[in-house]
Amino acid sequence: MGLIEEVLTIELPVGENFRIQRCRYVPKKGEPTKRISVVSGIHGDELEGQYVCFLLGQWLREHPEAIKGTIDIYPAINSLGIDSITRSVPFYDVDLNRTFPGSKNDFLPAQIADGVVDVMRGSDFAIDIHSSNVFLREIPQVRIAKSQEEILVPLANLLNIDFVWVHDAVTVLESTFAHAMNTIGTKTLVVEMGVGMRLGEAYGHQLLDGLLNLMAHEGILDIAPLDVRFPIQSHVGEVAYLNAACPGLFVPAIDHCQIIKQGSVVGHIVSALSGEVLDEVIAPIGGILFTIRAYPIVYEGSLLGRIFGENNEAI
Amino acid sequence: MKRFDIVTLESPNRAAFRIEGFLFGDENSKGPSVAIVGAMSGDHINQLYVASGLVEYLRIKEEEGNIIGRILVIPAVNAYAINMGEKNWPLDKTDLNMMFPGYALGETTQRITSRLFETLKGYDYGIILEGRRDQGMCLPYVKLIQSGYEDLECVKDLGLGFIHYRPHDPIETAMLQYNWQLWETKAFSIVFGKNGAIDQSTSNEVHTAIVRFLSKREMLDTPVFEGRKSNIVDPNRITILKASRAGILISKVQCGAHVQKGETLGKIIDALSGQKLEKIVSPCEGIVTCQYAHPLIFQNSIIFRIASVEHCCHIDSAKSTSD
Repeated sequence: MGLIEEVLTIELPVGENFRIQRCRYVPKKGEPTKRISVVSGIHGDELEGQYVCFLLGQWLREHPEAIKGTIDIYPAINSLGIDSITRSVPFYDVDLNRTFPGSKNDFLPAQIADGVVDVMRGSDFAIDIHSSNVFLREIPQVRIAKSQEEILVPLANLLNIDFVWVHDAVTVLESTFAHAMNTIGTKTLVVEMGVGMRLGEAYGHQLLDGLLNLMAHEGILDIAPLDVRFPIQSHVGEVAYLNAACPGLFVPAIDHCQIIKQGSVVGHIVSALSGEVLDEVIAPIGGILFTIRAYPIVYEGSLLGRIFGENNEAI
Repeated sequence: MKRFDIVTLESPNRAAFRIEGFLFGDENSKGPSVAIVGAMSGDHINQLYVASGLVEYLRIKEEEGNIIGRILVIPAVNAYAINMGEKNWPLDKTDLNMMFPGYALGETTQRITSRLFETLKGYDYGIILEGRRDQGMCLPYVKLIQSGYEDLECVKDLGLGFIHYRPHDPIETAMLQYNWQLWETKAFSIVFGKNGAIDQSTSNEVHTAIVRFLSKREMLDTPVFEGRKSNIVDPNRITILKASRAGILISKVQCGAHVQKGETLGKIIDALSGQKLEKIVSPCEGIVTCQYAHPLIFQNSIIFRIASVEHCCHIDSAKSTSD
C-alpha cells in the first residue's frame, strides 16, 4: 500500500483547505532506483488520468515486490476544479497549465504551479495525462515539442500509445507543466487521450500497460517489458485540420479513429432552426481520423477533426 | 465619427458576434494615429466604461474640429462574454488576449483576433486598456513589456505615476501588446481598476491620461494639464504583503495611500468564528499600488503591494543610467 500524503495545502476562506494529495510507492527493500511522477487533473474537466491513476495504484498494491523505484501518483492537481467540473482554477478562472513555472509571489494559481514544481522536483520522469477537452475526442497520443524530440520520443514509444506527434512549439507552451519540468531535468511526457468529462475504460488499460512497460525499461519495476504497440510517428506524414466553415450543429458521419479516404464525408453541419444541411465536411487527405469533435455546437473555425496521413501512401 | 464593424461572426443561435470600432479624424490623414482597445475580457467593465467615455468625448471634440490625427476606439472586443457574465470566449473559454496575432484559417478565436489584428496593424500608437488577472485592484499604471520594439519615451506623456517596465513572460508572446510591438506599433497597456466594477476616480484618471497623451502626441488639439513625472518600477522589487491565513479581509487603507512603516493596514478574521487571525502591518514606508479586492481571501494571497521610493526611479534617471 502506498503512502498517502498532502503535499500542498492552502487555506481557503471558510473552513477548508485546498490540497494536492500524492500516493507514494517505494521498494520494500533497498534504495529506490529512479523516481517517476504520474500526474492528472491539471485541467479539472479531464478525468481519463484519474482512471489511469486508479489502475496503476491497484496494480502496485497487488505487486509490491516488483517496485524498485519511487512511484508517485498525483490524481488531482486542480482538485477544486475536478470536484466541480471546472477546467480552470475556480475563483480565478485561470488555466493552470498556462501558469507554470509559477511563483510564490503571485496569485493563487501561480502559487499552486510553483508548489507543484517544487514537489515534483527531482523526479526522473513525469507523465502528465490529459483528456483533450469536452470538445474533442482523441486517440491515445503523446505530444512533444520539436526541441525535445531526441530525448522524449524514445520514451514515448514505450507508452503503448497510438501516435507520437512532434510539433513546433509555440512560445506560450513554455507556460505549461511539461515545459517547466523538462526545463529542470525531469523527462516529461504529455499524454492526450479520450474526451473531457468522461472515462474511456479501454484507453485507461492501454496506458496502464504503457506505464508498466516504461517503468520496466527504466528499472523502476522489476518485471519483464510488455509487448506494446509501436506508435505512428508524425514525421512520416502530415496532419490535416478540419475547421468548421460555418456555425451550426456538427453531426459526424463516421466514428473516431477510422481510416478514411480523401474526399470521404466526415460529417455535416446542419441548422436546427431551418432544417437545412449547411455544409458537408470532406476529408482533404486520406489517413486516420485521430481527432473528432465530441461537442456538436460549432462556430466558424471550430475544430471538427484532425487526420493524419502518411506521405506517399494511397489510402 | 465613423462607426463600423471590424469583425462579425455568425453564431449557431445567438445574434451575430460583432466587434465595433469608432474612428475619428480623416481616414486618409498622414498625421499620427492611435488605436485604443477596451474590454478584451468579459469582466473588464471599467475598461469598457473608459473606452466608451472616450468615444463620447472624441465625438464632441470632432464636432468642434479638434481631431488632428486618426483615432480608433474599440470599446469592447469580447461583447459575447460581457453580455453573459463570462470572462472568456463563452464556448471554449479561451482568453481572446491570449490568441494574438491570430490565424485566419484557425480556430474561432484565432480567426477573431486575426481579423481584429489586421485592422490594428499600421497605427503609430496602440493603447490597451487592461484589467487585472487576479482579484486585486490597483492604481492605474503603464505596463510596458520589453519586446525589443517598445518605446519607453512615449508613455511618459500619459503622466501616470508608475510604469512597470519589464521583460516579457512566455505567455505574453500570445498577447496583443507583444504582437502589436513586433508590428512596429508603439503599444503599451494601462492596467487599472477592479474587474467587474467601475471606479469613477480611477476612470477619470485614465481618461485624463489618454487625453493628455493624444494632445501631446498631436492627435487632439486641446489644452491639457501636465501629468505626473512617471516612476519606473521593477514589479519584482515592490514590497509584497501576503496573507498568512485565509478568511475575511478587512482593509483599512485604499490604493494610493501613503503608508508608514509599522502602520496597521488591515486584518484577517476567521470567517466562521470571527476571531482575528492576522493583523496586517506595513514593513516599510511607501505607496499602496495594489490591494486584494475580494472580501474572502486565500492563504498566501497577496494583500498589498507597496512601492517604496528606493525601489523606483524616474524615467530621466533611468535613461541616463542605461545610456
